Amino acid sequence: MNPYVLITLLFGLGLGTTITFTSSHWLLAWMGLEINTLAIIPLMTQHHHPRAVEATTKYFLTQATAAAMLLFASTTNAWLTGQWEIQQMTHPFPTTMIILALALKVGLAPMHSWLPEVLQGLSLTTGLILSTWQKLAPFALLLQIQPADPFILITLGLTSTLVGGWGGLNQTQLRKILAYSSIAHLGWMMLILQFSPTITLLTLITYLLMTTSTFLVFKLNKATNIATLAISWTKTPALTSLTPLILLSLGGLPPLTGFMPKWLILQELTKQDLSTLATLTALTALLSLFFYLRLSYAMALTLSPNNATGTTPWRLSSTQSNLPLALSTTTSILLLPLAPAAMALFTP
Amino acid sequence: MCFIMYLIFILFCLKDWVAVASNPSPYFAAFGWLVSCCSMGWWGFWLGHGGPFLSLVLFLIYLGGMLVVFAYSAALAAEPYPEAWGSWPVVVHMVVYMVGVVLAFVVFGGVWYESSWVSVDELGEFSVFRGDAGGVALMYSSGGWMLIISGWVLLLTLFVVLELTRGLSRGALRAV
Repeated sequence: MNPYVLITLLFGLGLGTTITFTSSHWLLAWMGLEINTLAIIPLMTQHHHPRAVEATTKYFLTQATAAAMLLFASTTNAWLTGQWEIQQMTHPFPTTMIILALALKVGLAPMHSWLPEVLQGLSLTTGLILSTWQKLAPFALLLQIQPADPFILITLGLTSTLVGGWGGLNQTQLRKILAYSSIAHLGWMMLILQFSPTITLLTLITYLLMTTSTFLVFKLNKATNIATLAISWTKTPALTSLTPLILLSLGGLPPLTGFMPKWLILQELTKQDLSTLATLTALTALLSLFFYLRLSYAMALTLSPNNATGTTPWRLSSTQSNLPLALSTTTSILLLPLAPAAMALFTP
Repeated sequence: MCFIMYLIFILFCLKDWVAVASNPSPYFAAFGWLVSCCSMGWWGFWLGHGGPFLSLVLFLIYLGGMLVVFAYSAALAAEPYPEAWGSWPVVVHMVVYMVGVVLAFVVFGGVWYESSWVSVDELGEFSVFRGDAGGVALMYSSGGWMLIISGWVLLLTLFVVLELTRGLSRGALRAV
């Protein structure tokens, strides 16, 4: 791809998200989402391969459907209530429809099935953009909507955590596992959305950090399935010992960053007298934890035999830039003591 | 007036939509879509409710896009024995769809009875501008930045399409 075209497209990605962030009008928010979708499509087919083209087609069809539904819902809202403000959603019908459209856009269960398929067809870098930057704009809109009925958000959230855990169980492909991990984490964010948008934002940011470092680790190892992970100790021994910590942080184990959002969410749900829901959600997190543990086991807790020449690739220096990986790994492991500061930072 | 316009709308638009949906050959389906776009843009919505300028804009833009689609489907889907609206399976589909549309209108159409938008010309005596011309002026004045962004996005779309449809080694089905 021509570098000027690449820059134009990356600028388009930034422009779309910025427009959605700054808009208070549904039409501009929709425009921003559409710019985002349009700009990422050539980036998805950049490494030209039939799987990438298939994934791009699936992504385009899903996003176009979601955007059309969003536009229909916001015009219906304008028709029923006479205004286009994002924060003034009073009528339940367009509100529900917009929540469903945005859920389709970010891939929440039961509208999730496109996400593993799409992510599996992309390169790890594009997958990283897809599961981090592309979530920002829809979540900026979701954070501004307060539905009258708590039922829909809780259903979306609980289904997503369950499906995200369940779907990832039998996978051997890392990108599909990351997609299901994304679904599960977004489910946690949806659960707490109407009780504390601050915690939703905190969960989103910590998830973005953790998934960034996971994607970058896999990219450094050039690993797309579990079997490839088993020889990562020959490539980067130090990182191999750190990666289980990143994965368990995604799973939400206590001394790591990933425990912070789950802790706060369960606490807030219990405060809202929803202890059954909190228990159920905590149980679904165990499903996710199982496949994170399996990844950790295959990568670092077992040592596959290898011949003498196969054990020394770590001597060759990598050409990839390691600074983003170092930063995101540090934050995704060590951030838990800063929980009060993080909460204060995200409180409006 | 309202009733007559609805009648025209139903006669032209729905007939043409049925003509598209009844599975003729792509060539004729595209042609039916072209005609339905004309009737929808020109007759149906805006002209009947006093918005001739918006009607014209909608018509021109839609017609331009549909002509391209028509040209492509005519070029790609030319068949030696095309199924037009005269052949039996298509006729059966058309009749079934027409009956379905009429039934749906009878069942659900009651809510729409005599409900139409405020005609743009009706406000003429209370306002300096006509409704549609005023809207265009607003788009250029207060919506100027939005217009610039829209223009930029059209340019971006051009690059997106060019990147996706580069010829030779860039076909969708072949790994290179």
